[in-house]
Order: sequence, then structure tokens, then C-alpha cells
Amino acid sequence: MKAKLLAVLLGGVGLLLASMPALAHHSFAAEYDAAKPVTLTGTVTKVEWMNPHARFYIDVKDDQGKVANWEFELGSPNGLMRAGWTRNSLKQGDTVTVSGSLAKDGSNLANARQVTLADGKRVFAASSESENKQ
Amino acid sequence: MRRHINTLVTGVAVLGGLSLLSIPAAAQAPVQQGGPDYLGGCVAGTPDPPAPGAAARGGGQGNQAAGRGGRGAGRGATAAPAPAAAPRLPDNKEAYGVNAGKPDFGGLAKGMWNVPYIVNMATQGRNADGTAPVVVPCKPQAVKLFQERQDNKMKDDPEGFCLPPGVPRMMYTPYPTEIFQMPDRILFIYEGGAHVWRIIWMDGRELPKDPNPTFLGYSVGHWEGDTLVVNSIGFNTETWLDAAGHPHGEQLKVTEKFTRPNMNTLRLEATIDDPEYYTQPWTVVTTATWRPGQELMEYICQENNRDLGHIGAVRGK
Repeated sequence: MKAKLLAVLLGGVGLLLASMPALAHHSFAAEYDAAKPVTLTGTVTKVEWMNPHARFYIDVKDDQGKVANWEFELGSPNGLMRAGWTRNSLKQGDTVTVSGSLAKDGSNLANARQVTLADGKRVFAASSESENKQ
Repeated sequence: MRRHINTLVTGVAVLGGLSLLSIPAAAQAPVQQGGPDYLGGCVAGTPDPPAPGAAARGGGQGNQAAGRGGRGAGRGATAAPAPAAAPRLPDNKEAYGVNAGKPDFGGLAKGMWNVPYIVNMATQGRNADGTAPVVVPCKPQAVKLFQERQDNKMKDDPEGFCLPPGVPRMMYTPYPTEIFQMPDRILFIYEGGAHVWRIIWMDGRELPKDPNPTFLGYSVGHWEGDTLVVNSIGFNTETWLDAAGHPHGEQLKVTEKFTRPNMNTLRLEATIDDPEYYTQPWTVVTTATWRPGQELMEYICQENNRDLGHIGAVRGK
């Protein structure tokens, strides 16, 4: 059990290198539900590279071809930059896959935990919720 | 379990030193917001003194790993070498005044302190003797207010309004800080909170008798050996002591004791004295980690603060 746990922890080092701690300025639990994961793929329509949380918006098409616009919250630009992002990492028109936690108020909003960029590079989001799997 | 965390931390710290990426707090176990670390604290009444020889529990994820690089080397990880001794300022009173010959808190070097993310002083801090958890001795009104804040999922945290988090919470808000020692004062500049500063007056002046209540208080300091002792009063009621919601009022007095036991570690022992909410003063120890060569960046939290509408946060709670 301990050896397996250690292996899991050390295996997680690679993930940690690309991730940041929770850098929220507000309570994650008040806004998002970690028990409501969501994963969406879409085209980036807007990027707000601003404090306290960078945000981006994607158009997601459903099976009927209907388009909905979704907002995803990232960590602060400083946190993202220290984790290897730049303000050009996400651009309008990019296709991305995002997974994260749904907002509690029912809006098309989620806190991004992981983003796969158009070039296939997987990055974490330096967001309000960080990996804490044990 | 904690030993394995230390192993992981040691391994990451070594890798981090080799990595071009800055991983300021990858050396700290990540905090899951809304998770177990947030909950708990603010125990009613006055705690019994700890039993002699009480062993350290597995709390305080990550904090204690800083500065103990040689310990806990386990399977598969390289033990980091013992950290170097802390630098001292030159023994030159003309240039450094009261700080001459004292520990250098990094202001002369290129580098910064990586501040940990402490959401709950009780569950993530340590007692002065290294044990955990910290028992916060709350009066009934503190328990009531604390529980309200927890039941509301901390939605009304004033930090969510981009207001300065207060003292000692500046050192629990995970954006880096730099400390500059001048002949008659010490200047802290903080990336977080946001982009704020504190002056610690070292010229022997007394604390004001009727201070104007502010977010970061009024601070005077002096050296006791190699320990910088900072006394602060004059706090407004617009801050929470931590993200979990431990309360304070205008009677709050904070004593911060800063030491730099080795090159990598800034140790903070913070004592909270507020008879309005607590039965007695209580002390929490945390650490920050030195990041050579790294720099503070601008963080203007007020720029695009969109969360308040979703959270329904209310000022003054």
C-alpha cells in the first residue's frame, strides 16, 4: 500500500511540475462544485488575460449543431506565467478541450482544471482548484 | 504518510532546482479549495496545555518541508543537500542602522520569498514546538461567526473583493514577497493582496495610542538576537485572519517573529491576541521558501474581478 502510494505520489511529480497551487483570491467552494466535473471541446472566442483570474470563452456545438458559449476561469496571469503559460498560449480560434468544475449558479461557467491546447499540449490551469488526489 | 510527502517534496524540490520553469509552490502539497483543510478550527474555550512530549501529527502539509531538505529521503528520491546558512547584513551601522550585522532577509539579493497558501491557520499551521494541529481558543462569539462563515462556504471573504488580506494573512496569501532592511525601517512588498506594502518602523518609536484602523495595521519592530519581532495594532474589521474565516476585531494585536534559520527558509511565528474573540493569545508557525533569481510581478486584483456576482458576496460579514 505504501509502495503504491509512493509510486503514485512520485508519478505525480510530472504533473506537479506543470501545475500551481490554488491561487484563488476567493472561495472556490462558494462558486464551484468540485463534485460536478465538466469536459467540453470548443473554439476559443475570447481570452481575458487579466487579474485576478484569466478567463477564456469557447463556443461549444452540441449534436444538433446548436452553439453555446462557455466561460472558463483560470488562475492569475502571474501564476499561469510561472507555470509556463504566456498571454498567447490561448488565442481566438484555437480548438481546446477543457475539463473543470461547474459553477453552482447554473450559468455556463466552470473553473478550469486542465486545458489541452490546439497544439496538443496539456497544461493545468493554475486555477482555484488543484489536484489533491491521495 | 507525511514521510512520503516529504520524500515527494524533496524530489520535486531537487527537480525544481534543475527546471527552467519556476515551480514556486510545487514543493508544497496542493490545497484543495473547499476541501478538508478549510474546515475546522476555532475550538470553544481555553485549551489544556499540551502533554509533555506530544508527537507531531501529520498536519501542515508542505510547510515544514521547507528548509529540511536533507530529511526524509526515501525510496527512489535523491536527498537534497542541507541548505546553506542564512546570509547576514554587514556589521556597518552607518549603512544598515539597527539591521547591521543582523540576518539578511533577502533584500540585497536577487530573489523572492515564495509565500505558502494557508487557508486555515488551525489545520495547516504548526504550534511553536512543531506539533499540529493548532488549537484556536475561541470565545462563543468567535465560534458563532466562524461557523457562519464556514456554513456560507466562505463566500463573504473580503479577500474576494480584492481587499488586502491583513496581518498575518499577507504571509498566507500565495503570492511572493520581498523584504528590504533599511537603517531605521523594514519594508515588505507583497505581490498579493494585491500589490501592497508594509513598513515596520525600527526607530524605537512606540505604537500609536489611538491608531486609525487600517487593513494592514501599524507596525513597529525590534531585534531579539536573530529574531525580528514585529508588533502591530490598529486593524480594521474588514479582514479575516485566514480564508477559513477565523475572526478578529479592532482590539487585535499581532506579534510576528521572523527568523531565517537557513538560506531557504523564512520562519514566521505569529501570535494573535484579541480578547474580543479569543480566550487567550494563540500562536501559529508557518514558513516561506527562498526562490533565488525570481522576481515579483504586478498583480492588480481589481482589474477584472468577475466572481462576486456568482458568489453573492456581501461586505462586512
